[in-house]
Amino acid sequence: MHSVRKFCNQRFLGLTKLFVTLIVCMSASFTFAAKPEFELRIKDHLFYPSELHVPANVKIKLLVLNEDSTPEEFESYELNREKVILGNSKSVIFIGPLAPGIYPFFGEFNITTAQGVIIAE
Amino acid sequence: MSQPIKFSSLLLLLSSSAAFAGTTSVDRVYDPYVQPLEREIEFRNVLEHDPFGGNDVWKTRFGYGQSLSERLFLEFYVVGEKEQGEAIEEDSYEIELKWQLTEQGEYSSDWGLLFEFEDELGQDVLEAAVTLIGLKEYNRFIFTGNLSAIIEWGGDINDEFETAFAGQSRYRLSQSFEPGLELYQSETTSAFGPVFSGVVKLGGRKRLTWETGILFPLDDETANQTYKINFDFEF
Repeated sequence: MHSVRKFCNQRFLGLTKLFVTLIVCMSASFTFAAKPEFELRIKDHLFYPSELHVPANVKIKLLVLNEDSTPEEFESYELNREKVILGNSKSVIFIGPLAPGIYPFFGEFNITTAQGVIIAE
Repeated sequence: MSQPIKFSSLLLLLSSSAAFAGTTSVDRVYDPYVQPLEREIEFRNVLEHDPFGGNDVWKTRFGYGQSLSERLFLEFYVVGEKEQGEAIEEDSYEIELKWQLTEQGEYSSDWGLLFEFEDELGQDVLEAAVTLIGLKEYNRFIFTGNLSAIIEWGGDINDEFETAFAGQSRYRLSQSFEPGLELYQSETTSAFGPVFSGVVKLGGRKRLTWETGILFPLDDETANQTYKINFDFEF
């Protein structure tokens, strides 16, 4: 029993070291540089603006304000983003860095009306 | 200015750490994300096949889950197991809580934690696990690593502490079809092979995510062929 405990303790010690290393790595991988911010509004199941110009090759912070009372899901396979924004609330979506180009997005819950593009240039 | 440590280094670290590790068979590689208002029904199947006449083992898992908040997702599973020539038996139940730690894309990699508790039916065997989930996006490639710390206890099992690793690299070819590779490393399983996944949109919030793959052994203890097929219906 003593040897089992010793074995478990050694494993636990090893794993603790590993997790500490991971946390350090996580901290090191966090970059806190200010990101350009853009705003996107949802009203009457439409995106405003429906065409958003952003700088290419930098990460951007997109603040999405849902002014409808119903939830909406910002979705774009091209941007690899899906985010549900509850009714009458706001949410942040981080995008990029994007290569120059046009990236369509839409509202999953109102796909016929809620559509737009992000143009990275 | 310090150079951020690359996610590939983390995965290497995770892989090497798993070499001393414990038990988890082929299952699923988790991403760290949670969506508010998310509800899903999940059906997972794993078949361990021995083409040389050994016993085939089929494990099936049926789950229901829903998000509790923007960062927490709770899921409940019933797990069944069937050996060749026998009827399927209810094997255990399991509860999972996923916690999204970072916003997608905010940092150079995304992180989450998964807490699991499993109770084997008809036996005094309990299992609890915590899994660190890391995900790195690199152009159209997605690299995901799950590192688990597991404890097992009860009257019908020797108390154990184990670790396990599951990793996936996936290429975002199209929403309906994404090829990838998966690696599973634990005390009882060491397997590697191709996986394929996709999403079928069913209108509104409804969608069906499918995933299938075949894993080949990297050691003598793992089944010769392990097939997996998972369905995840969100509504």
